Amino acid sequence: MRFKLIAVVILALLAGCATTAASKVVALGKLRDIEIDAMRVARENGFITVNTQLSNTSSDNKTFYYRFAWLDPDGFPVAEEETWKSQMMYGEQTRYIQAIAPTPKAVDFRLEINTP
Amino acid sequence: MFVRFSMIAAIALLASGCASNHPPTLGSKNTSYGDTKAVETITNEFSSTDLQIIAESMTRSLAQSGILRGRPVVQVYDVKNKTSEYIDTREITTTIKTQLMKSGTARFSSDNTDMQSQIDQIQLQNQSGLYKKATVSKIGNMIAAKYRLEGSISSIVKRSSEYKDVFYKFSLQLIDVESGLAEWMDEKEIRKTTEH
Repeated sequence: MRFKLIAVVILALLAGCATTAASKVVALGKLRDIEIDAMRVARENGFITVNTQLSNTSSDNKTFYYRFAWLDPDGFPVAEEETWKSQMMYGEQTRYIQAIAPTPKAVDFRLEINTP
Repeated sequence: MFVRFSMIAAIALLASGCASNHPPTLGSKNTSYGDTKAVETITNEFSSTDLQIIAESMTRSLAQSGILRGRPVVQVYDVKNKTSEYIDTREITTTIKTQLMKSGTARFSSDNTDMQSQIDQIQLQNQSGLYKKATVSKIGNMIAAKYRLEGSISSIVKRSSEYKDVFYKFSLQLIDVESGLAEWMDEKEIRKTTEH
């Protein structure tokens, strides 16, 4: 079973438009102590997968809530809302969160994140 | 004259300012609808969030694995509940089945629980003599499943004076019916801790 791993760097197809990891993040309120460092998108077996690097900048354990929203080419959601997931990070820890799209129709995504 | 006019104007202004939007509801303020996707930690037991997290994680992993290329027919078997709690494990597989069907990645044959209804209906159509021959579904045309989906959920519960910690482990596997080989397998672990 072979699959093609196409690494799609987050650059818009439109010229002169730089897409950063920050543009994919929708923060519910101010993001405290959690930083989104990098994101990598790939398409495996037709489904896009996102790998996000997050770091806890404080020295205390922090819990945050996140979920992904998967979008079609027009920016509208392709599937029902995901459930909110709770994640705990130790002080000064860097962690990776992986997510897979629910349907091959998803071409874009947003990371919704809430730090209580 | 001017005073009367200004009084009426003032009352009209106040009235429009006080007007509130009456919501189209009936009932007490104690009950309200909530977010079905919220993280529920009312107690330490198996929650709606656990059900959703497990179903979502298993579905995505299975759909992306590539094993369901060509939309094979899958039969969903039971998820054994090896925990000491009451968990409706059939709901987990129902959610997985729904999500896979919606994304068009697999087709499902009758479950072991639906099989009796299926048999009853086909027999009723063919043997009762009540139905028009041209509209009857013929016996012997059911599509057999290529894969079988089954799993189990277990838990480890630890209690002390300060903590109650529950660790769930859900595992699911896709087995090829003809060869008996497990072609795909994944698991999801969840830990919930309550501090007293």
